Amino acid sequence: MKALEISGITYSYNQPVDRSGIAENEYSLRDFSMSVQSGQFHALLGPNGAGKTTLMRLITGQLRGYIGDVFIYEHKKWGKEVLSSIGYAPQPISVFPSLTAMENLRIFGVMAGLSKDSLNRQSKEVLEETGLLSHAQKRVSTYSGGMLRRLNLAVALLHSPQLLLLDEPTVGVDPQSRNHIYETLKKINTFGITIVLCTHIMDEAQRLCTRVTMVDKGSVIFSGDMKEIDNLEKFFLEKTGRGLRDEN
Amino acid sequence: MIFKKLKELIRKELLVLLRDRQTIPLLFLMPIALIFFLSLALKGVYSDKLTVHQISLILENSSRAPKALKLEEKIVNNKLIQRVERPEGYDNDKLFEYGKAHAVVYIPEGFDEGTKPVEIEFDPVLDAGYKVALRSLITGLTAEVVMGIDDIETMASNFIVEKKRKNIRFPSALQQSVPGWTIFAMFFIAIPMSIAFLREKNDGTLQRLFTYPVSPNLIILGKLIPYYLINLTQFVLMLAVGVYVMPLVAGLSFNLGEHPWHLVPVAMVTAAAATGFGVLIAALARSPEQTSTLAATSALLMAVFGGLMLPVVVMPLVMKKLAMISPMYWAHQACLDVILRDASFSFILPKIIILTLFALGCFYIAGRKVKWM
Repeated sequence: MKALEISGITYSYNQPVDRSGIAENEYSLRDFSMSVQSGQFHALLGPNGAGKTTLMRLITGQLRGYIGDVFIYEHKKWGKEVLSSIGYAPQPISVFPSLTAMENLRIFGVMAGLSKDSLNRQSKEVLEETGLLSHAQKRVSTYSGGMLRRLNLAVALLHSPQLLLLDEPTVGVDPQSRNHIYETLKKINTFGITIVLCTHIMDEAQRLCTRVTMVDKGSVIFSGDMKEIDNLEKFFLEKTGRGLRDEN
Repeated sequence: MIFKKLKELIRKELLVLLRDRQTIPLLFLMPIALIFFLSLALKGVYSDKLTVHQISLILENSSRAPKALKLEEKIVNNKLIQRVERPEGYDNDKLFEYGKAHAVVYIPEGFDEGTKPVEIEFDPVLDAGYKVALRSLITGLTAEVVMGIDDIETMASNFIVEKKRKNIRFPSALQQSVPGWTIFAMFFIAIPMSIAFLREKNDGTLQRLFTYPVSPNLIILGKLIPYYLINLTQFVLMLAVGVYVMPLVAGLSFNLGEHPWHLVPVAMVTAAAATGFGVLIAALARSPEQTSTLAATSALLMAVFGGLMLPVVVMPLVMKKLAMISPMYWAHQACLDVILRDASFSFILPKIIILTLFALGCFYIAGRKVKWM
């Protein structure tokens, strides 16, 4: 079963995509297609500004006004069932700094529709899983960068999603926290949870993922098995070029 | 489930707000301090000057004749006059320089005979209004003595009647300050509110909430309700300070008029207008720093134009017209209608409608302007 199927997506932040005459560089995604099988650990790679975060936001229902189709577990609309099946850890650390970790999990858990008992149990589980249980009652503003990243992930895991979307989950963290996150992700993937990992760290993608989709300038430039690729970084540079990609 | 989610969103917002060390002083202590200090400072400006502050007067009588003694008695017994004794070694210049008296009245020998007039000398910096009032008073009392009339005012009342209009009473310092600074503080909620909106938009928490099975409208409502409730709390608390605290600490009295319950709809629409203003600022500004400047400057200008700092009744006509562009003017006038003029509900209804339209306009523009997602 396909956890995620994206077919022919075209999207622009600045212009309605059904309008003709849009400049080439105004498209964030252009005729983009990819599919992810249930239980897969899928890497989504691309240089800065390639369209990865746009794709994540589109899958989570934050962006509208695109052409094409997005199917999540064969559902086309973002109903309660679909949204509850997605866990999303955005690239910015999106938690409330003046609340404790437990209070953060409570607000997101209630929004996900968890009952009181499930919320308490699952909050403890994800905090344990991410190594934050002993810091559960501390305000998030006192957390280190690594702890914040792990809490960002814990929020995404809280409601036991079937599809986990991770946008650069290890950026700016120390090797210990990074390793802890890798172990957590590997473990939950063995339980059959589908993971789409958006990252710039080639070693991370090669170590964790079984499939890879490369995106550049809003379009897919490669899709295949990770085992087909010997040196991912070299392969990535061959596909996307060595020129700098500073975003405007 | 919807109510559970809404309750949780409100709880979260209140927790975030209460843990912000700047918000509570800004929203509650600032207006209390403004009410307290400005009411005291402006006590004299808003009050009937002559009855609140007696004129200190040195009265010297060189004549022992009956009319001179009668005039001295009348002056001394007048409730507007406080007789003081000349300190030893003080001439008139020194008296005024050291603020020992506002004026000196001298009844000379020969007053009874009509050969010498009563002399008045004022402190040169004395307010012109006081001078006119004291001169009229002394003139009136002298006329009574000379013409043998007991009370010239009673006699004149057959010829002159002062008609008072109920609806244009001048507010006292507290009547002006309490609703004025309360409304000002309510609109100041735009600062923490718009900062919270923008901060959550910029750090992605707002967008993250939108990825859950919950309506975006519910999320926005969950953010608005706490600020609305804080606005209502501000209103009640500031009125309570005016009614119960100010008489004790500052000796100023304040009451809510004959129909205090009419303040309920006024508070509700004012809170709606203030939260609408906050959302509009959040929609217009691009950074939390911008929201502070924009919200504070706008609130201050609306307060100045709206007659919160200076009563509209003393403004020139052009400023009176300009005042009407400020929502604070309508809120303040509605409060004064209830507190000062004992207005009926139908009298304050147009002001309530204007504030409601202002709130709806703000929400509409903010909704059109911003992509919260």
